[in-house]
Amino acid sequence: MVGVLFFSSSYAQENRTTFGLFPEASLSYKLLKNYSITHKFESQHGLYDTENLNEELEYEHTLTDLQTFIGRRISPFVKVDIGYQYRIEEGENTHRTIQQVSILQRESSYRIGHRVRVDQTFFKNASLLFRARYRIKGQIPLQGDSLDNGENYLTVSNELIYMIQSGEDDLENRLTTALGFYIDDKNKFEIGLDYRTDDYLVENRFRHRIWLKFGYYKTL
Amino acid sequence: MTYYLRLLFIIFSVTYGVAQEKNEIEKRVKKDEIPKQAKEWLKDAFEQKRRTKWYYQTDGVKEVYEAKLKQNKHLHSVEFDLKGNVENIEIKIKENEIREEAYQGIFDYFKSNYTRYSLKKIQIQYTGEADDLEDLIDENEIENLVINYEIEYYGKTDNDNILWEGLFDANGKLIEKRSLNLKLTDNLDY
Repeated sequence: MVGVLFFSSSYAQENRTTFGLFPEASLSYKLLKNYSITHKFESQHGLYDTENLNEELEYEHTLTDLQTFIGRRISPFVKVDIGYQYRIEEGENTHRTIQQVSILQRESSYRIGHRVRVDQTFFKNASLLFRARYRIKGQIPLQGDSLDNGENYLTVSNELIYMIQSGEDDLENRLTTALGFYIDDKNKFEIGLDYRTDDYLVENRFRHRIWLKFGYYKTL
Repeated sequence: MTYYLRLLFIIFSVTYGVAQEKNEIEKRVKKDEIPKQAKEWLKDAFEQKRRTKWYYQTDGVKEVYEAKLKQNKHLHSVEFDLKGNVENIEIKIKENEIREEAYQGIFDYFKSNYTRYSLKKIQIQYTGEADDLEDLIDENEIENLVINYEIEYYGKTDNDNILWEGLFDANGKLIEKRSLNLKLTDNLDY
């Protein structure tokens, strides 16, 4: 009995798994020719965590991010953005600056978005956290070769994140898949799973996070 | 939590109602729904067995069926009216496959109108009678057919940075062009 308890707790220590809900919404609008603004809200709500001894469902507001980006379209296929994020989290709310380039690749029936992003997070009593990330996201229509109003699509994405803070670095991976509802070009709804793993470079620790994600993308 | 779900549901249902006015539709259709005449023409022209995908398309005014298939490593799109009469054939080609008569004119147009350009998709379009279109496919013979080029290109001028679809005639003269709006990338960028 003691052995089982010991095993399960040490497993939980090294291999932590959490599950939760992850609503997000983005609102974009044009500012001037070629310039646009995007506000994004995303929020993580933990429901299950193997580190809680009893492993019961327990609701916890994990964090909420408020982001704003100013983007400039360089060509129909390339867009650059600078952004700012305010994170509301237990302990300390943080500020983050973000820079990104997104590139659209079109194929006959599907399209792929490449996103290269760097961000810097500022803490009161800790040094700067720097991250470099690359995301590839495919969008495939489910009815026919082109996405028309009222049709559905599938998205699959993977993002690799390298981070470094005070000389210690780590990797995180985010794999997502979602079903998208293409109401029209200015209104899209996606629901799916976001599977995140991190602590790749930290010894004796590995974390899995699974989020049920639902996001609304609105453009004015 | 239920608050978010309810909020999302409300936004979703409101916008869904607004978005009912569709114009362009393209969807896959089953082979059974295609008029016999169209299937027969296709079988006569493209003799070998080919995997064909059928689509229904409308821009709100004109309705057509379209067959997409590959022949000689080229993607062919064959358009039929709803009764099954073949109307035109579009074949996806590479830059160096543009016929000589048109090549000069097309590239002169690009060079003189844009500081930078790149061709994204080129289709040669043949329009004509069913028999002549059939000869094009099975005999490689061009007779009584109107040839146009539909070219999707990106052209940069000092003021503009736009993706276009231009229609050029057999001699490479621009007939018309329209700007293409790419679908928004908000869900790919953020």
